[in-house]
Amino acid sequence: MRIFCALILLIALVVPAGAQRLVSTLSNQTVAISSSFDGETLTMFGNVEPAEETPLAAPQGPYEVVILVTGPLTDRVARRKTRQFGIWINTEQVLFERFPSYFHVLASRPLAEITTPATLAAEGILPEVQAERAARTDWWSATIYARELVRLMTERRYFGVEEPGVRFLSTTAYSAQLTLPHDVPNGAFLATTLVFSDGEIVARRAERFNVRKVGFERFLGNAAVQYPLFYGVFCVFLALFTGWLGGVVFKR
Amino acid sequence: MNLFFLVGIGGAVGFLSGLFGVGGGFLLTPLLIFTGVPAPVAVASVTGQVVAASTSGALSYYRRGQIDLHLALYLVLSGVLGAFGGVATFSMLRAAGQLDLVISLGFLVILGLVGTMMMIESVRAMFKRRAGVVARERLPHQHNWIHGLPWRIRFKKSKLYISVIPVLVLGLCIGFIGSLLGIGGGFILVPALVYLLRVPGNVVIGTSLLQVVAMMAATLILHAVQSQSVDILLAFCLMVGGVIGAQFGASAGQYLRGEQLRAMLAALVLAVAIRFGLSLVLAPADPWSMAVVGAGGVM
Repeated sequence: MRIFCALILLIALVVPAGAQRLVSTLSNQTVAISSSFDGETLTMFGNVEPAEETPLAAPQGPYEVVILVTGPLTDRVARRKTRQFGIWINTEQVLFERFPSYFHVLASRPLAEITTPATLAAEGILPEVQAERAARTDWWSATIYARELVRLMTERRYFGVEEPGVRFLSTTAYSAQLTLPHDVPNGAFLATTLVFSDGEIVARRAERFNVRKVGFERFLGNAAVQYPLFYGVFCVFLALFTGWLGGVVFKR
Repeated sequence: MNLFFLVGIGGAVGFLSGLFGVGGGFLLTPLLIFTGVPAPVAVASVTGQVVAASTSGALSYYRRGQIDLHLALYLVLSGVLGAFGGVATFSMLRAAGQLDLVISLGFLVILGLVGTMMMIESVRAMFKRRAGVVARERLPHQHNWIHGLPWRIRFKKSKLYISVIPVLVLGLCIGFIGSLLGIGGGFILVPALVYLLRVPGNVVIGTSLLQVVAMMAATLILHAVQSQSVDILLAFCLMVGGVIGAQFGASAGQYLRGEQLRAMLAALVLAVAIRFGLSLVLAPADPWSMAVVGAGGVM
């Protein structure tokens, strides 16, 4: 018995701090946007398990969980209006390359209590950090424009930080709910889950899910982008037909 | 956007367009912009509504033989050329972030000028009517400097023998402005045909309508291909509302006198122009804005 305890102690000492395993899943792999879509709630579950090398070492809490949900990347500009010759004109703009069109942070506690600002910045956990990284300008403008872009994105509910957004069901099991707005961007999403213990990341896991239009909406969206000429010609015929029909029906 | 709201707004503008005998694009595009539709989408989608609104009119004028096809051909060809320029400018301005500004300025200038001129003309007509003076219209055969230009062509139906230069320039300008601002331009084209080219009254409206249909159809395709900002559902809601509303507007218009109608339309046009002016001058609620400029690739 003493030898066994010593063995466990030895393993516990040898295995580094970042050695827990995370199992997690999402309620939907695909979010379908139909014509009546007005948002959807996604549930994420997970459990902190012992690392594979040490299957007998029960995970030692307490843990904190942070989930980053990132939407498809786009190139985006933020613009600022200033007054020139008495009228308000967009005078400056900053380009943000490969900037997420959706970014939500769900945390089990306020982020400041989970880890250090340095870790938050290094892992890209804060929306402002995402924006500053994507900005293609000098440091000073990047800071200002990143803050304003994050504000605009947050107002439209594309960006957000929910603390607490993750709920622990036991010391190791958690669940989190994410509400996607009605105008959620289409494309591949990435949900990255980070498990913290004493401010250090001890496990991480990434999962993909897709948001895409279905049915008629998808057909129209595809047609407009892939067959723009056909789409345009069809619009013209629709307009001519509607106008002609109106004339016939009302005998003008 | 709510479906009923869009059909409603299309119906309301259709009513006005039937009432005043105008295409309605110059009211519909501003209204959509004011209610929060992005300016590029509003401009491109209203183009479809303008086609629908002008089709039945153009057809009935065609059946009555009140279209100068020869003149319309020159106007349409130059109009489509102008639309190419307009849509290219549209895309350039959009990329530079100045499209909203140019649309606001364009509407302010055009609606301001047209509204003021219409207001002066209709108020004058009202005073004359009250004073019992019979207004004498200038005859279409009176000449001005435009008739001295070279490359003259005979337009039989319009009984005109004029240079093609003013015709082509007119088409080019209407095509450019119309595709940039999402308006048919009938309210500029008709006075220009009457006062500058002296096109007789019986073929003016029909020829102008045909030009609007053909030019805006070309613009619609160009917008769909180049800027991809045509929203077919939005356009269809506006078409349906517009076509129905126009019928009621046309019958309501018969109970009002011409100069009263023109004064009301002028007041409406000026109100829209002032609204654009204010949006340029007053401090915006949020000086910051954002726009997607391209796909960022895969994660």
